[in-house]
Amino acid sequence: MNRRQNLARRHRKSQLFKWCCISVTGFAVLVLVLLLWQVTVIGLPWLDFQFLSSFPSRFPEKAGIMSALAGTLWLVALTAVFAIPVGVLSAVYLEEYTKPTRLREIININIANLAGVPSIVYGILGLAIFVRFMALERSLVAGALTMSLLILPVIIIAAKEAIRAVPSSLRQAAFALGATRWQVVRAHVLPAASPGILTGLILALSRAIGETAPLIMIGALTYVAFVPDGPMDEFTALSIQIFNWTTRPQEAFHELASAAIIVLLAVLLLMNSLAVYIRHRSSSR
Amino acid sequence: MPDNIILSIEDLSISYSGEPAVRRVTLPIYEKKITAIIGPSGCGKSTLLRSLNRMNDFIHGVTQTGRIDFQNADLYAQDTDPVEVRLRIGMVFQRPNPFPKSIHRNIAWAPGINGMAGSVDERVEKTLRQAALWEEVKDRLHDNALNLSGGQQQRLCIARVLAMEPEIILMDEPCSALDPMSTARIEDLLFELKENYTIVIVTHNMQQAARVSDFTAFLENGLLVEYGDTDQVFTRPANMRTEEYVTGRFG
Ligand SMILES: Nc1ncnc2c1ncn2[C@@H]1O[C@H](COP(=O)(O)OP(=O)(O)OP(=O)(O)O)[C@@H](O)[C@H]1O
Ligand SMILES: [Mg+2]
Repeated sequence: MNRRQNLARRHRKSQLFKWCCISVTGFAVLVLVLLLWQVTVIGLPWLDFQFLSSFPSRFPEKAGIMSALAGTLWLVALTAVFAIPVGVLSAVYLEEYTKPTRLREIININIANLAGVPSIVYGILGLAIFVRFMALERSLVAGALTMSLLILPVIIIAAKEAIRAVPSSLRQAAFALGATRWQVVRAHVLPAASPGILTGLILALSRAIGETAPLIMIGALTYVAFVPDGPMDEFTALSIQIFNWTTRPQEAFHELASAAIIVLLAVLLLMNSLAVYIRHRSSSR
Repeated sequence: MPDNIILSIEDLSISYSGEPAVRRVTLPIYEKKITAIIGPSGCGKSTLLRSLNRMNDFIHGVTQTGRIDFQNADLYAQDTDPVEVRLRIGMVFQRPNPFPKSIHRNIAWAPGINGMAGSVDERVEKTLRQAALWEEVKDRLHDNALNLSGGQQQRLCIARVLAMEPEIILMDEPCSALDPMSTARIEDLLFELKENYTIVIVTHNMQQAARVSDFTAFLENGLLVEYGDTDQVFTRPANMRTEEYVTGRFG
């Protein structure tokens, strides 16, 4: 009988824990929904074609986010171009090509530390190296390179974890068939790790989209009345525009900020869907 | 008929971070024969087998002394290309490890990257037939190999190696996940393969070793206790330990 009582108690514990999880998750979701709801209610009335196709203005009803949206898209694309190859290949190198030595441990620990460095520090670094030393000025390239530095540790860590999760029996099978290291990585390790890598990439790029501090640090503009037409152009970004509008005293600008937040979220959602699509396509093959 | 030694293992010792797993083993592997390696769990059979196609290269902390000659060339010489070694000496692992891809792709991949001539589909069918798997999978060649049963996966792994047409096939307990029927078919396959291939097989199944192999090596604690003609090892073992092991009185 003792055993049955014990079992009943364990079941109760299990139930209790389940409800703990449900309530915590529910709370988080609730907060998120409230936030989204508020932003939507305030911002949606402002969200129209005029808003998307206008430049910033002193008059709320004429103001828009054309330059900021274009800047953000440019920034994300350039950051992806710089950061993804470097990050993923670094992870492949660290996981597949180096032996587990002391040096590798030190490098790994340092990368983990870099992921925790405040973004403003990267802004200062970017200002010193890219803007000043490399004389890239306040260009999109300077911004994207700074953002790349910021998200590289995140990408490397996520990719490393994903690669490490690939069972070694898979590598052994391929090696035993006379494959070279590159063939093993290309045909088996990367495909098996790609869902994890992709998730990491999206998280990292999402972070790049939302960051404001480093961009302000390197001197991205807050008032831009043109769409950048090349990577060397000056720019502004949605995050900066939102920040700028929220600092204005007039209520109307705060509402514009909400509308811009909706657009930012839409861009994020789009990126996520793209990742889901790519993942689905690669797994069904 | 002269028996050619294709692999010659001389005074081979292997240790993991200083912990010896194989101790001073000297052993010939004859061409187009089946050599069985038997011995209790943990005696170093897999370690020895992996050294024959340089799969131990991937394990950190492995040190090895002694010499292995593959057709009179040092397998571990500076200028020996381990990738080429593995092309010529294939391996079936103790646990089935198919690629998480289609059955077809599992077999076609390696011949593809090596640019082997001939029709891919024919090669797939031929090797699946050889591995006694064709009838079961012929209608779902493009299904994921992970959906196969454990035994089917192992036969797929055997087919995958056959598709590379290596000279030597190393098998680490290939039948441990198979039912008696499939085991019997694999054993038939081994006889068939003997015509063209050299086979080294690790097995825990004494009857299997006695049935299929020409030569038997008995390992205990990393030491080679006995090596000889399978008939002799099983009927008139020179060593008492061997006799105890093959008759099932220990291990
Ligand atoms: N990767 C490894 N790292 C450290 N020690 C290992 C490793 N692989 C094997 N060993 C050790 O080496 C010894 C021999 O192992 P091995 O796998 O060769 O045995 P085995 O004869 O194949 O056993 P089984 O019949 O159970 O498969 C064992 O003591 C084992 O613990
Ligand atoms: Mg073993």
